[in-house]
Amino acid sequence: MEITKKDVELAAKLAKMRVSEQEASIYQAQLEALFKWVAELSAVNTDAVKLTNVNHCAHMRPDVTSSDPALAEELRHAFDEEQDQCAKVKKVL
Amino acid sequence: MMTALEIVKAVCSGEKTAEEITRQALLAIAQKNPDVNAFVEVFEEDALARAKEIDAKRARGEKLGALAGVPVGIKDNILYKGHKATCCSKMLENYVASYTATVVERLLAADAVIIGRTNMDEFAMGSTNQTSVYGPVKNPANLECVPGGSSGGSAAAVAAGMVPVALGTDTGGSVRQPAGFCGVVGIKPGYGRISRYGIIAFASSADQVGILSSTVADAAKVLEVISGKDVHDSTSLEAPVPQYDAQFTNGLKGMKVGLPKGFLDGLGQGIKDKVHQAAARLKDLGAELVEVDVPLAKYAAPCYYIITSAEASSNLGRYDGIRYGYADNAAKDLNTYYEASRAPFGLEVKKRLIIGTYALTSERYEECFLKAMKVRELIREDFKKAFEKVDVLLTPTSPTTAFKLGQHDEDPLALYLADLYTCQGNIGGLAGISVPFGKDAKGLPIGVQFYGPILKEEKILNAAYNLEKGL
Repeated sequence: MEITKKDVELAAKLAKMRVSEQEASIYQAQLEALFKWVAELSAVNTDAVKLTNVNHCAHMRPDVTSSDPALAEELRHAFDEEQDQCAKVKKVL
Repeated sequence: MMTALEIVKAVCSGEKTAEEITRQALLAIAQKNPDVNAFVEVFEEDALARAKEIDAKRARGEKLGALAGVPVGIKDNILYKGHKATCCSKMLENYVASYTATVVERLLAADAVIIGRTNMDEFAMGSTNQTSVYGPVKNPANLECVPGGSSGGSAAAVAAGMVPVALGTDTGGSVRQPAGFCGVVGIKPGYGRISRYGIIAFASSADQVGILSSTVADAAKVLEVISGKDVHDSTSLEAPVPQYDAQFTNGLKGMKVGLPKGFLDGLGQGIKDKVHQAAARLKDLGAELVEVDVPLAKYAAPCYYIITSAEASSNLGRYDGIRYGYADNAAKDLNTYYEASRAPFGLEVKKRLIIGTYALTSERYEECFLKAMKVRELIREDFKKAFEKVDVLLTPTSPTTAFKLGQHDEDPLALYLADLYTCQGNIGGLAGISVPFGKDAKGLPIGVQFYGPILKEEKILNAAYNLEKGL
């Protein structure tokens, strides 16, 4: 599996990260070696495998809402400012 | 340092106070940490106050908990309200936990003393503990060597005798591999056994809390205390928690130990010999040795690096300077803001996020991510079939003993192979334990590993206990 520097830059952009020229070159070589290794998985026949996520969901609890007034109060106090029962957060831009 | 169980006995009987034990641990840390760098922060005032409370409780005639007075280190990705939890990353350098992880709540309820936070690879991504923003941890067995990772600080803290017990997390071997490198016990229970509420996520389908200790009996007691259903973690299992040490037997008569075919191929002679010796010892103890086939386990490592990196790329999306993390207020637009805010990630973390994001792109999704997920299912099936024939599996913990700091810096794939035998447990959701079993020619510790099925931690603990006892 060939990985180009452009692939690295695209993935970095999608991950909302900036990589320098030098970093992109280092990552390109390392990713190529890694994905070459990953390509070995193609030797495994997975045609009959159906992913159901049963393993992780079988024991999940039902969705229930809960309210904890003490926690809500604590969270409100975690912010410096409050307005109309809303926490005021700092400006981003 | 006394073992955790010896401390509990001494504190409950009044032979020692919790304060004395805590001061001993603080002294050991003050003496040894400058060389080893296992702790990144010590909660001295808090720990002493806690120890005094435990002593006062005893003075009032109240019953003390199962870990009375035991000093415990916690990995820097475990939340303890009011204390920093940084994942040893610049990204979270000022983050203070706003709530306490369930595992820590349970330790405190059992009268343990949280003594400080331990060093780790940044965001638990690594097997050498060299990617920490606080600098590398040194292996107490040889200060020129790595302690393993990512829970290298926890393993080194126990190995150096600073604390009898420390918590770590294990996503691909991050408890068991450093345990093997440092010569201590490290257990990662099956997926769902311990709540992950309050653990900073890396890869949610593989992350588990684990325990590092100087003895198997200590690991069993701590596991009993922190395991069990937690309403805050939907993946924690409902099953009752057994009293693990009550199931220790004298000998292993009736236990079937599986030796996976081909697992020792390509290994150095030193480790291979130790695994053979461990198998012979288990046979002497009454166990039946059975060769088993787990043919797809060799694909666990590439599956692991794709799946966990993909999950990390999602989990670490929250470090955008708005929800969590470093904020760069000089940015003029949102994209620049994000990029600047995510700059503090270290090289290894950035690389994993790039790997994960790339594996999830539409061009690579099927051949990389989906393929790895499917192979993972087949690996799980392989292990399931093996456990129909045997109670536990015996494997090496790692393909090598601890290596020199910086030795594999230019060859990341060699570092990734350090997880070869341990990541199978996370890919399969298995319970695994590393127990020290002698040393190599350079005097560096060697660990051997037992695997067991989910919710059968008592079997691997018993096998490890017997092996440890026979040493």
